[in-house]
Amino acid sequence: MSEAPQTPDASDAKNEPEPAAVNEPLVLLELIQRLKVRDVMTAKLVTVSRKDTLREAQELMKQKKISGIPVEENGRFFGLVSVDDIIRALGGGYIDDACSRHMTTQLVVLEDDMPLSFALRYFDRYHYGRFPVLNRDRRLVGIICQRDINRALLVELANELNRLETSFGQTPGLDGAYSIYVLREYPICKYDFENAGKAANQIKKVLQEKQFPPKVIRRIAVAAYELEINLCVHSDGGVLSWQVSNGRAEIIARDAGPGIEDVEWACRDGTSTANEWIRSLGFGAGMGLVNVKRVSDEFEITSKKGSGTTVKCVINIDLPVAT
Amino acid sequence: MTMIEMADVLKADLLVKGEGIHKAIRHVVASDLMSDVLLVDEDDMLLLTSLASDQVLRTAQIVGAAGVIVVNGKTLPSSMVNVANDLRMTLAVCRLSKYATCIAVHEALKKT
Repeated sequence: MSEAPQTPDASDAKNEPEPAAVNEPLVLLELIQRLKVRDVMTAKLVTVSRKDTLREAQELMKQKKISGIPVEENGRFFGLVSVDDIIRALGGGYIDDACSRHMTTQLVVLEDDMPLSFALRYFDRYHYGRFPVLNRDRRLVGIICQRDINRALLVELANELNRLETSFGQTPGLDGAYSIYVLREYPICKYDFENAGKAANQIKKVLQEKQFPPKVIRRIAVAAYELEINLCVHSDGGVLSWQVSNGRAEIIARDAGPGIEDVEWACRDGTSTANEWIRSLGFGAGMGLVNVKRVSDEFEITSKKGSGTTVKCVINIDLPVAT
Repeated sequence: MTMIEMADVLKADLLVKGEGIHKAIRHVVASDLMSDVLLVDEDDMLLLTSLASDQVLRTAQIVGAAGVIVVNGKTLPSSMVNVANDLRMTLAVCRLSKYATCIAVHEALKKT
């Protein structure tokens, strides 16, 4: 009677309408892309085993004030007992039967390393109250409900605000047209050429709206674009962040691997580890870091083979002379 | 000479009329390597390339190009037209080879 839980896959998601969240502010979109299901789910699980009775499940649900309880043994997930199952059991007079006989087994589950946007899409599609979460070894590691998502987003938004407020406090503010403060982060995925360059394009747009000098815009945009492409081509994925404050633009590309063995070599003209496929897309000429250095006033790279790389560049913005 | 006039001279198919359509072309770059394009510090450039990918347009936007002409009469992926529309980047396709296009562009600019 037990059926394998179904995990949605990426191709499945492509055929679905976009979630309501697409019209949300950029910071929220970034959050739901950056956060993984594992960052949001409840990992401290209340569970029952297959031989436990529905009455025991009901008691636990009452005590813990939850509306669904996974049936699990040593990490192996078998099904879920929901309030609906309990109501049916009470009506049908089988509340003392083992959970294994009446639990819901046809379930859609999520994987813990899926982005939160994926979970939102599935709440939208299935209208379930919760989804069990499995890891790559198909072990039950958590459960996620809409309340978990609301809580996590509120916490993350509060952190983001704190960060902005702290930065405002540190920068005294400037006279003139460039006394803006901007801080943005963009997650960049490996080989995601469909989106590569979008972050740099957005950065350029913001700077143009703020009427920065065209030459400064160009330097910042070129640095951001090269670093974004580098993350896409050479890293296992990372984050491009930038901020403008106190007359300086700072762009940072940070990734978690695979690291550079010889940083000096990587910063030389024309040296590249890009393969033919990357070159056929117009990249991998070995000029990326050289170009970032060229447009930067300060340039710093730290890397270690086997771990991550961080590239930081600073571009000074000439402030208008006060009259 | 503007992008629209250049497209006419080259008998190129103008697929997207972007912001730079009436800008005077100040510089020309012919390359399939985007990092090479990013090295050029010239405004209002015409980018000639045989590369048919979205990244060509994103690169052109970063350097503030007046427009992009893809040579060799390549069939462009539909995403390229969408990206050009999003970025308001002028995009055209020319049937000539890159070499022949460069010569035609040079001749056309010499007359102006």
